[in-house]
Amino acid sequence: MKRTFLGEFEEIVLLTVAILGEEAYGVTVTQELEQKTGRAVGFSSIHTTLQRLEEKGFLSSKMGGATAERGGRRKRFFEVTALGRRALMEVKQVREELWGALPPDTLQLMGG
Amino acid sequence: MKTQPPILADKLLKWFCAPHLLENIQGDLHEEFEYQVKRIGVRRARWRYWWEILGFMKPRYIKRKPTQYPTTYSYSPDMLQNYFKIAVRNLLKNRTFSLINITGLAIGLVCCLAIGLYVWDEYQYDRAVPQFEQTYRVTERQKQATGLYDIAVTPGPLAPALKNDFPEITETVRVGAWSGLLQYQQTAVEPEAMRVVDPSFLSFFGFKLLKGNPQTVLSSPDEIVISEAVAERFFGKDWRAQFILGKTIHYNQERPLRLSGIVENAPARSHLQFDVLLPFKYFELNDKWSYNWGSNNYHTYLKIRPDNDVAAFGQKLAGQLKNYDKGNETPLLLQPLRDIHLYSDFDFGTDWGKHGDIRYVRIFIIVGLIVLLIALFNFINLSTARATQRAREVGVRKSVGALRSSLIAQFWGESLLMTSLALGVGLLLLQLLMPFFNELSGKVMAVPFQQPLFGAFMVGLLLFISFLTGLYPAFYLSSFRPVSVLKGIFDKKSGAGFRKTLVVTQFVMSIVLIIGTVGLYRQLQFIQNKKLGFDKEQLLYVRLKGDTRQKAMTLKELLTKQSSIASVSATTSTLVNMQNTSYIEWDGKTPKNEFLITQMNVDADFLKTTGMTLAAGRNFSPAIASDTSDKFGTYLINETAARRMGWTPQKALGKKVNFWGLDGKIVGVLRDFHFRPMNVKIEPFIVRFRPKEFYFNLLIKTRPTQTQRALADIARIYKKIEPNQLFSYGFVNEDLGRQYAIEQRTGQLLLCFSILTILIACLGLFGLATFTAEQRIKEIGIRKVMGASIASITTLLSKDFIKLVLIANGIAFPLAYYGLNHWLEDFEYRIGIEWWVFVVAGITAIGISFLTVSFQAIKAALMNPVKSLKTE
Repeated sequence: MKRTFLGEFEEIVLLTVAILGEEAYGVTVTQELEQKTGRAVGFSSIHTTLQRLEEKGFLSSKMGGATAERGGRRKRFFEVTALGRRALMEVKQVREELWGALPPDTLQLMGG
Repeated sequence: MKTQPPILADKLLKWFCAPHLLENIQGDLHEEFEYQVKRIGVRRARWRYWWEILGFMKPRYIKRKPTQYPTTYSYSPDMLQNYFKIAVRNLLKNRTFSLINITGLAIGLVCCLAIGLYVWDEYQYDRAVPQFEQTYRVTERQKQATGLYDIAVTPGPLAPALKNDFPEITETVRVGAWSGLLQYQQTAVEPEAMRVVDPSFLSFFGFKLLKGNPQTVLSSPDEIVISEAVAERFFGKDWRAQFILGKTIHYNQERPLRLSGIVENAPARSHLQFDVLLPFKYFELNDKWSYNWGSNNYHTYLKIRPDNDVAAFGQKLAGQLKNYDKGNETPLLLQPLRDIHLYSDFDFGTDWGKHGDIRYVRIFIIVGLIVLLIALFNFINLSTARATQRAREVGVRKSVGALRSSLIAQFWGESLLMTSLALGVGLLLLQLLMPFFNELSGKVMAVPFQQPLFGAFMVGLLLFISFLTGLYPAFYLSSFRPVSVLKGIFDKKSGAGFRKTLVVTQFVMSIVLIIGTVGLYRQLQFIQNKKLGFDKEQLLYVRLKGDTRQKAMTLKELLTKQSSIASVSATTSTLVNMQNTSYIEWDGKTPKNEFLITQMNVDADFLKTTGMTLAAGRNFSPAIASDTSDKFGTYLINETAARRMGWTPQKALGKKVNFWGLDGKIVGVLRDFHFRPMNVKIEPFIVRFRPKEFYFNLLIKTRPTQTQRALADIARIYKKIEPNQLFSYGFVNEDLGRQYAIEQRTGQLLLCFSILTILIACLGLFGLATFTAEQRIKEIGIRKVMGASIASITTLLSKDFIKLVLIANGIAFPLAYYGLNHWLEDFEYRIGIEWWVFVVAGITAIGISFLTVSFQAIKAALMNPVKSLKTE
């Protein structure tokens, strides 16, 4: 089986979607990401990443109902799929293993 | 107020972004924009917005989603089948209209094709001649006191002299006209077209020799070559199987000639018509007119090298005649072979052979186009008129996704189908009518179905016509808006102005043709009935040949005794198209007033026989010795001749003149009479009385109602005197009529075509009237219920159409007047264009169209209103 690969930005977006739960769509993901990471992200790159994640099967999406505040245009809500959750777990596990393997001295040096 | 994101940026996004992504992206952007406005202000939010949108310019967002459902390709077999089915159903549903449409177009096409074949044939003359493009005829433009005259004949020695002096010339040939009687054993034949030719004649024009040696034929003086037709008359149908070469054929019962070849019959498409060929060699040796520079007797043809500049050669040639014949300033001209058939217009009958006339070819082309246009207009009119019926179909097709282009293609395809049907019917009709058309046009033509060129042309014509007929309906029908046509909001009058214009144009053309035809017929009537200055009725002529000429007086005496014959006169001409001209000398002549005078030799009974009258003086008399003196002649001249010489008829009497080297005096002046066709003015004429010279004809006036008996009597007496000679005769009346054969033929053809145009135009009108009546059926019903009379309803329906025809009359009259006037100018003696012709044409057009329209109108008016109003 092809090993799933998540890019760094993809991982963050996927995590953000998971954090936002039912309220994850383009605008919320962007704003959450900006608040949490402090980095300014282009709107189009968020959209692109969301789409790419959906294509890879980590996210699923559905159109929401019509909304008054944006001229009646509907929102596309995203949700993390089982595959997405597993991918996140895998990434976390890899990280924790890597962190666990780190000699305590090195960490202190870095922290210093 | 809520701030809006930049509209332009939104438009940009809408333009490039794939529609299925647009909604949520734009929504997100707007939401973000509002958030940013609060956070960083409107100005910066707007900048940001622009920036964000530019960020979406990626293939991922631009690429359109493939549709989930397969689109039906407009020209897929299924769709084509559907188009075809609908077209056929429509044809069958509206049988009347389809019939009118197809018939009209078919008739139009038949006319157009028939005319096309005719014109094509006219342009095909002489094309079979080798090096057609390099072949020319040398002609002269002679200057005479009364003007410039083009003559097609040149001196006999010209051809060899030119060949000798101009290296540009590759080949020459001389052709002269001759006549006489041929005899082989007991069979005598009088050829219609005897030609005197050089040995190069056959190869020059590419005529095939069926028997004989093409290398040597016609190169010695005493030879004769005859055509297949003449061979058949001499030797019977199986001449091919006999050994006939070398047999002796006598010319005019004296000269034995050796039959050295049989040539194919002259092709129909050749200006050269011949049935007997005599060698030029003989004439060169024996006939001084053939080697004399002073006499013009031969057509000179030449071919020049292909790489030569014709214009330069023509200039060199122009002044060449004076180098051969001192003092002869007459210029020589080159006439291309391609122009000989259609563009020959030569004086003094110097151009024998078969001729067409470019003016009539042009008239026919115009008429053909008119007929075709009228038929096309019908087609377009009926298709657009019926558009309302197709409107719903267009609406449905458009709402289920038909593009305008596929609708245009559909309607074009439909007119292609209709046109194909019409063309098929037309070709069938043409094939059936070909014998009739051949009779009318005097040609032998067949529809060239086998020729690939014809096939290609038909396909081209088909595409062109269906393009034209389909153009307006296709664009008009496909422009309907589905919403309005499906709701039934539909302007039923739409396109009416266009249709009216077409109807008016149709009738303008028809009326012009009618007036033209009536004018042409009246002119023909006029020239055939115009008083000629002599009595052409019961007047016949008998040709005198060979020996008979000496016995003319004996024959005349015997004939005069017959009770069926009123009087007989021996003459040199038959009074039809006389063109034997010479110069005349008189007291007081100056080079300035010199003119050519036409002459004939008669006897004293000439006036009595022809019924000509004298303006002054006396007739010839054998009793007066000086009249027949050898030393001194007596002459009669016509009034025109007297006027040209500067005398009144009375003053002319007794004046001395010298004609053909013989002094004489004028004893009488004849009233002017027509001796040439009516497109020529009456020219000077002189009548000689030389009983000792040969006469060529006997003019015989029979007693009224005794013509048949007279003919029998003449034949009997002729046989007694000349058992070996064929008795050949003709009626002056008929020969005079034959001069106008082209005009008569054109008249007949024009009559046919103008009847057809009116027919086609009325067919269209009938269709339109039917359509209008159908459309207004409810209105008529209501009017009837309210008490309208049948007459008033008929008027109501007819008047719109009659108005159009009236307008057409107004436009057609000046056009017809101009055209007719132009044509009539060719005739020296012509009718005036009278107002009643216009009235008759106008009334005819109105009458016929009224009949056509009122038929439908009355039918509609008679309908029971209960029926038309019952259903909605």
